[in-house]
Amino acid sequence: MSIMSYNGGSVVAMVGKNCVAIASDLRLGSQALTVATDFQKIFPVTDRIFLGLPGLATDVLTLKERFRFRVNMYTIKEEREIEPETFAHLVSSTLYERRFGPYFVEPVIAGLGKDNKPFIAATDLIGCLTLPKDFAVSGTASDKMFGVAEGLWEPDLEPEDLFETISQTLMNAVDRDAYSGWGAIVHVITPDKVITRTLKSRMD
Amino acid sequence: MSPSAQAPIRHDFNPYTENGGTILAIAGADFAVIAGDTRQSEGYNIQTRYAPKVFRLTDKAVLAVNGFAADGNMFVKKVKQRLEWYRHAHAKDMPLHAIARLIQTMLYAKRFFPYYVYNILGGIEEDGTGAVYSFDPVGSYEREACRAAGAAQSLVQPFLDNQIYFKNQQAAPGSPHPAHLPLNQVLALVTDSFTSATERHIEVGDGLEIYIVLAKGRNSNELESLKGVAEVTTASEAIATGERLFVLRRELKKD
Amino acid sequence: MNFSSHSTMNPMAWGNLREDAYPEPFGAYSHNQGVKPRADAFTDGVQRTQQPIVTGTSVLAIKYKDGIMMAADNLASYGSLARFKDIQRLHAVGDYTVIGAGGDMSDFQYLQQILDDLMVEEFAAEDGHPLGPAEIYEYLSQIMYGRRSKINPLWNSLLVGGFKDGKRFLGYVDLLGTTYTASTLATGYGAYIAQPLLRKAVEGREDTLTEEEAREIIKESMKVLYYRDARSLNKFQIATITEKGAVISESMSSETIWAFAEGIRGYGAQTS
Repeated sequence: MSIMSYNGGSVVAMVGKNCVAIASDLRLGSQALTVATDFQKIFPVTDRIFLGLPGLATDVLTLKERFRFRVNMYTIKEEREIEPETFAHLVSSTLYERRFGPYFVEPVIAGLGKDNKPFIAATDLIGCLTLPKDFAVSGTASDKMFGVAEGLWEPDLEPEDLFETISQTLMNAVDRDAYSGWGAIVHVITPDKVITRTLKSRMD
Repeated sequence: MSPSAQAPIRHDFNPYTENGGTILAIAGADFAVIAGDTRQSEGYNIQTRYAPKVFRLTDKAVLAVNGFAADGNMFVKKVKQRLEWYRHAHAKDMPLHAIARLIQTMLYAKRFFPYYVYNILGGIEEDGTGAVYSFDPVGSYEREACRAAGAAQSLVQPFLDNQIYFKNQQAAPGSPHPAHLPLNQVLALVTDSFTSATERHIEVGDGLEIYIVLAKGRNSNELESLKGVAEVTTASEAIATGERLFVLRRELKKD
Repeated sequence: MNFSSHSTMNPMAWGNLREDAYPEPFGAYSHNQGVKPRADAFTDGVQRTQQPIVTGTSVLAIKYKDGIMMAADNLASYGSLARFKDIQRLHAVGDYTVIGAGGDMSDFQYLQQILDDLMVEEFAAEDGHPLGPAEIYEYLSQIMYGRRSKINPLWNSLLVGGFKDGKRFLGYVDLLGTTYTASTLATGYGAYIAQPLLRKAVEGREDTLTEEEAREIIKESMKVLYYRDARSLNKFQIATITEKGAVISESMSSETIWAFAEGIRGYGAQTS
């Protein structure tokens, strides 16, 4: 079995009108066995940037600390907050540093940039960046999320509608994935606040 | 060390391949919709842009086959032959639930050299309700309201769970979710499912063929207004009395 | 030469007797999912075709205004050796049909015999129903699928082209029994190299392309294949099947230019 799906888990990010959203499931598994149902895979980077790290749990924990360190160093040196674009390239180069012995995660980045410009990005496990204008998916339910998101997403969604769209996309996808699910968490980043909600979903 | 220095590699002949594509069926209260794309591929090669995967069995039964195309075509051929024998013996078309059981028997008969095919059977039951039966390659089957299969099953099925079964959606107090959707909404969901699958899956595209089976006496108004619809009912007196069968063809992206 | 070490399911590697040294990229076709036939007292004595030996490469065919045009070169290879350089890979079956084959040439010649015998049998029936391309295609497909189901395939990719009762026919069938029809078809390397050229030239123009235009498209494609397919030969035949019947041409060749190769190490006569 692939290392990428050893622990399971899925993340999705979506662009809305002057807002972005990022969501993940809460399962931590050891192959088919569910070990925890409160495993966070999305981490705040700044007040306006979130990072989702689906993949091998040990690398999730390592990388969130590494990125915390690197973003802190950036903030101290530059005396300003990191922009989402810059952070995406930081993620990319951090992963590419381990080109021939990679971290087994495929990150998703969501945030608001200058002038509240929505930004989402995703990379593969060795840091190849993609910058979609609609949505980004990653994790063991990625193909399912692609299908649902392609059907539900539309441009210029307001925060509440974006919340509904990303929640439905995630939940219906993970309900067809044995390695994801057991609860979900959604963050909607708007210019003046971040709305965070944990979702009640199927627990089987 | 190169493999040739050790024992020679033996490659046995592999009698199977996968030919891509996706199929889908949805049952309504008094109709059934069975659809499939028309691309046939092997690996990265598009073999043809038009190879039907959905077949009329009778005026009230339609079969969609997906997987290894050679097995699929042979299987459809044999099912049709068995239905013709039934017609000669009983002077009527085999009922849908009986076709479903026949398909199970025929698939299981090849349990140890299976037809590498996923089947979805759609049509009208004897009680006039729309029905969908889905099968695995060795004959396990169940009746459902909707099912997707094939290359883009993982993309389409969760979307259908949400839009047909209203999974993860809370009904407004006092107005429960409908058990069946009206035909125009079902057709819209089918086209949306296939355009989505075409967008994100390389093995899906080129053309879309949607078969629509209407129960006895059901009006066909919604279909008359659509363009690209053709009636393919065979029984001539059926226009007045029996089930009616229509095909709707749509283009899909060819890249 | 070690025959047991090569294979394969992949038309691309037919005639590749050195799969050990030059394996299939990605190992895409090397999954061993073979189904074992039932074993009995005679099993050890039964020999089955596990690999093609003397092979033909691509066959091309297109629809055009008046019917079908098909082409194949005259080479039958023995691995990388150009063994037979005057082999016919196009074969007329009756008055309305031509079949063309890539893959194992002995299997193809066996099929020719079967189909010729069938045509004699049908002629003798005198029932006023001579077999047309659609019937021959169906028959051929059933033979191919039947043999694959016995895990004893006829190792070919075949094109069937025909014209009967004012209707054109063009179909493909291979060792797995896989079938399909389209207005342009190509087997083997032709599927990769010629098919894009054929589709660009033919799709949407099936009813207006003249015989001259069709011939140019086919000749150009055969030339490109000769340049790029190392198992091809610049000596080929073109068949037309129209209202007037099936005609298989004499062998012909394309004008080619190799001046560019002079300066390229590995292409020209350099020795170091």
